[in-house]
Amino acid sequence: MNLLQLSTITLALVIVPATAQTVQFDIQSIKHNDGKLYIQLFKGEHDYNSGKPYNATIVKAKEGTISVTFNDIEAGDYAIRYFHDENDNGSMDTNLFGLPVEGYGFSNNAIVRFGPPSYEEMAFTVAQQPVKTYSTINY
Amino acid sequence: MERREALKNIFSLSIAAAVAPLPSFANLSLVEGGVLKQNAQLFQKALLTNPNLQGFVGLKHNISEQVLKVEGAIPADFKGSFYRNGPAIHQRQGQRYTHLFEGDGMVQQFSFTEQGVTHRAKFINTAKFEKEQQAGKFLFSGPDSKLKNSRSVTGPDSINTANTNVLPVNGELWALWEAGSATAIDPKTLNTKGVIDLGKNTHYGSSLKGLAFSAHPKVDPDGTIWNFGSTVTGDIVLYHLNKLGATQKVNILKTNYRGGMLHDFLVTHKHLLIILPSIIKDKTKDTFFGAISFDEQVPLRVLVVDKATLTLKREYNLDPGFAFHFGNAWEDQQGNIRFDASLYPNLDNLHYMSEVMKGKVSHPEQAKTTFFTLYKNGRTTKETIPGVSEFPRIYNHLTGLKNNTLVTLSSVESDVWSDAVRVINTHTGKQDRFTYGKEYLVEEHVVVDSSQKEGSGYLVGTALHVPSKRTCVNIFKANRVSDGPVCRAWLPDAIPLGFHGNFMPT
Repeated sequence: MNLLQLSTITLALVIVPATAQTVQFDIQSIKHNDGKLYIQLFKGEHDYNSGKPYNATIVKAKEGTISVTFNDIEAGDYAIRYFHDENDNGSMDTNLFGLPVEGYGFSNNAIVRFGPPSYEEMAFTVAQQPVKTYSTINY
Repeated sequence: MERREALKNIFSLSIAAAVAPLPSFANLSLVEGGVLKQNAQLFQKALLTNPNLQGFVGLKHNISEQVLKVEGAIPADFKGSFYRNGPAIHQRQGQRYTHLFEGDGMVQQFSFTEQGVTHRAKFINTAKFEKEQQAGKFLFSGPDSKLKNSRSVTGPDSINTANTNVLPVNGELWALWEAGSATAIDPKTLNTKGVIDLGKNTHYGSSLKGLAFSAHPKVDPDGTIWNFGSTVTGDIVLYHLNKLGATQKVNILKTNYRGGMLHDFLVTHKHLLIILPSIIKDKTKDTFFGAISFDEQVPLRVLVVDKATLTLKREYNLDPGFAFHFGNAWEDQQGNIRFDASLYPNLDNLHYMSEVMKGKVSHPEQAKTTFFTLYKNGRTTKETIPGVSEFPRIYNHLTGLKNNTLVTLSSVESDVWSDAVRVINTHTGKQDRFTYGKEYLVEEHVVVDSSQKEGSGYLVGTALHVPSKRTCVNIFKANRVSDGPVCRAWLPDAIPLGFHGNFMPT
């Protein structure tokens, strides 16, 4: 399967718990079709702060809205962060002061206030029902 | 599995590295927008009894071209447009900003021709202004004013108001703020062309996007443009642009400056002078300007930077002080450097501009013109000129070179705003002053001269006449300022008090 040609991709965990759910994440207001979106799902604040994703995916950019689904997600608290690799160089470009110059965002449409939102602001719970969350991308 | 792990690692390197160090104006806590509503109510009440506050009311709409009533005669050799910039929206839907520096920028254009004087004004259509104008309300938290439900502020350009200065560059006007990008304006239509990406078409690529570009670039006599931009981390970016505004060289200077705000700088023919005032920003506070205080233990630092390499050459530590603005710097053949500052003994004036937004007129200590000499052997001296001093300007052709003339505003009768303009002989200290009087709120006056000879040419500047609620633009002979204006043109109404501007001859 060619990952880069897909607008939606699902990566399953190696161990799938019996109570697993799906998490649908919509990214809105993508500016153009160039490049890719790099999306990370974290389980719990500790892993988020440590930069250890529970799951991750790459999708080709598409102007407008892209919907990504993570399947077989066990119960717990999660957060998502992503960026739009507009020039397709495999990293999030920043200016000389370290500010991102490519689009990015967080689950719960968490607001950026002169710095990244807190984990609490982007966190959501996976339990008995499928989860839907979204983000309007910040360029 | 290997690919998945590799993928995760790429993410970790990218977002973790890029997002985590986002510079912040403050560690924000959410403050109820009620503070802004209270500000509006306090200001409205104070305005009823203090007509001086009309300069801080603001406007809601652009001003179409209007012919002004002229008193006196426009000098035959005075032709061109005088552009000024300043914050002009301070309040929306009953919410009022808490600092004067937060309002959206508006460019004022005064055009002088044989037919007379015309004026028009247009808001700078920044991304912030466009969205808020459409919504009819504030949408974004500012440096000091916090909204409960602010939209994302991903970087300084999210709230770039382009409200501080306007500089002609290669046929455009650059509307300048100090924490983010310059904004290009069409000088004929005053339409906004867009944010300037100084790295575009250079090897710097996107690395200059959204970087701070101060509102006080310095232009050498040959047109070369120098500037700086600061951030709360203390890193200062230095720019060398050619006369067309194209980036030639950029460098980052690590300074350990903890003041947060840095407004102006200077150049000599060989060096940049980055002058760091004695201020400290409290990072635990949720405001920007409100979190800055004067610290008598911190010296006024002068960083001497080599123009050729944009790297630090040496540093001088001076007595504690604060300055928004400097006039000029130059150095002699021995390498001794002389510069002037409108020097404050503390930071009260910055906070005055917060008080005035709620209609409170306090009486902060004022600045005085102070001449510093930095000797090559490390010795320093300073000399203070009597009288209040702000908004210093010089003849443009002497930027970085020895100047005998310094133009400043002053306050003689008023304790609200400037009420006088003066020309100082930098060698004798002799002053030639015109006092508008306390019925006027006087704004920056700039030198207009095509002969490149100090003492020739004119000064042009605006003043708000409080009793008649009208703004006027005034032309003085530069060598006879105390005679009063040779020409004055009146607007039918008052326009908001602004900050800086420049003259573009035709």
